[in-house]
Amino acid sequence: MAKRQKSYKEKEAAAKLSPGIIVLYILLILFCLLVISPLLIVVSSSFREPGNMRSPLELFTQFSFDSYISAFTKMNYPMQLLNSLMTTGGSVILIVIFATMASYPIARIKSKTSRFLYYFFIAGLVIPSQMVIVPVAQMFGNLNIPNTRFTPMVMFITCSLPFSTFLFTGFMKGVPVEIEESAYLDGASLWQRFSRVVFPLLKPATVSVVITQGMWIWNDYFFPMIFISKSSQYSLPVGMIQFLGDRENPAQWNVLFAACVLCALPLIVVFAVLQKQFINGIAAGAVKG
Amino acid sequence: MKEKKKRGTPISLVFPKRMYVFIIPAIALFLTFWIIPVFQLFYYSVTNFNGVNYDYDFVGFKNYMTLFREGTLVNSIKNTLIYAVIMVLGSNLLGLVLAMALNVKLRGKAFFRTASYVPALFSAIVVGFIWSYVYMPESGMIASLMNTLGLDGSSFNVLGNYKTALYAIAIVEMWKAFGTTMIIYLAGLQTVDESLIEAGRIDGCTEWQLIRKIKLPLISATITINVILSIIGGLKAFDYAFIMTNGGPGKSTNTLMFTVYKIAFTDQMMGKASALSVVAFIVIIAITIFMLYFMNKREVEL
Repeated sequence: MAKRQKSYKEKEAAAKLSPGIIVLYILLILFCLLVISPLLIVVSSSFREPGNMRSPLELFTQFSFDSYISAFTKMNYPMQLLNSLMTTGGSVILIVIFATMASYPIARIKSKTSRFLYYFFIAGLVIPSQMVIVPVAQMFGNLNIPNTRFTPMVMFITCSLPFSTFLFTGFMKGVPVEIEESAYLDGASLWQRFSRVVFPLLKPATVSVVITQGMWIWNDYFFPMIFISKSSQYSLPVGMIQFLGDRENPAQWNVLFAACVLCALPLIVVFAVLQKQFINGIAAGAVKG
Repeated sequence: MKEKKKRGTPISLVFPKRMYVFIIPAIALFLTFWIIPVFQLFYYSVTNFNGVNYDYDFVGFKNYMTLFREGTLVNSIKNTLIYAVIMVLGSNLLGLVLAMALNVKLRGKAFFRTASYVPALFSAIVVGFIWSYVYMPESGMIASLMNTLGLDGSSFNVLGNYKTALYAIAIVEMWKAFGTTMIIYLAGLQTVDESLIEAGRIDGCTEWQLIRKIKLPLISATITINVILSIIGGLKAFDYAFIMTNGGPGKSTNTLMFTVYKIAFTDQMMGKASALSVVAFIVIIAITIFMLYFMNKREVEL
């Protein structure tokens, strides 16, 4: 497969008659193969029967869904998928609401207080979650917040606020003040101005926040691992932790690979559909920030 | 005219102080679940609190002394710094070179871009599993490959060797991160004005001079962002020490955050874990501020 791709690319490049470009193509193809080779082996092995560990380097020699069926049942896939969807979706919606609201005064009022609040939020960016997890867990205990599938959402939202507020503030400063002034003269209230005038104009930043934070939340296993005790409430990544012991057992590797594919699949599908938004959203998030 | 005057005065009718109400939900969450816990860490770091029993004593700087005497402090800071340096250099060089290569008019550009970005879509736990297999001695991907090539694959065990384990997990993090770095560099390179490059070509610049004298200076802001992002990511190193090596062999992959987690949850010594957190906090803040200052200065110079 690799060879065919290479010669095809070479032909294309040869049309431009530049040896530099050909070398570039070869290097790029080799590099990309190197990068995705672990993934190829994972996908290929996941289609083997659970026991078949013979020479995994021979790609796609067997097509069986046994490993998938086994992983699917062991993970309780539909349940975990639903949990993941609910927590990610819910968190992202609340992040957008809270962060846009917070950045509204920070971007619009020019005073020492608002500048202080801005840096106050940014400072949160550098604190790793492992560091504060014990006091945070105590705080949950003191506030009598029970461990449910939605408990990690509190932390997802809190940890996303610094980045999101930062991004929205930067973006909101670019929204002309004149628009709001005319809305004010037309008698719009603060809330109306925020929700009807400013918020719709923040769409590019919203897309960026939804993608970057959504991706992080979807993939995070740390907070669910700490805050969820029942396995029926696990999200996909934290469900993967139960496979940790299986690494010692070679007979389980193909099932493990199938579980990895199942876990990653939803995001891959979304990425495939919304590739352009992903690329732009990630770039915009970093460039603005 | 009227509006202009309004904007100049400190009390604005359009943007009154009561706008601060909007910030309440965010600040309430942020204070309760992020800032107060950080302050609690400072307090617990001078106690012998075990995380469960609230009957603890004030022990002064004993936790800090123990951490220092045991060598935990120096070891975990050293490991974290090595990890962060590999992350910063590796993912930025790789990302930048790749972005430069893909910024040329190429067919199949989207394919290469996607292939390099795909690893970033996986959860750290999945990546940890995949690379545990890649590094597995005897029957893992690299070992099998070595066997096929006639080399001795059974001697290959990077994760089991205390000299190589840290580098091995840093490479995993790099594999996951460089695609994102590349996308950010690509976005930066696309803002470079083509006419400047053309002008350089007409003046007889070599390709290397074009990169060195025109492209790199013009994307210095992007470089700053990427470097800062990878430093923050590298200093937070936790995932692969947790999933792939469990800190071992020995203490060779004990990064700051993994050690904090281990002391707090496995050893149940919250006071000691807090002391290490406080040190980590200071290290992270100091490095971030230093780098921001250093990079900003460079940006102006260029």
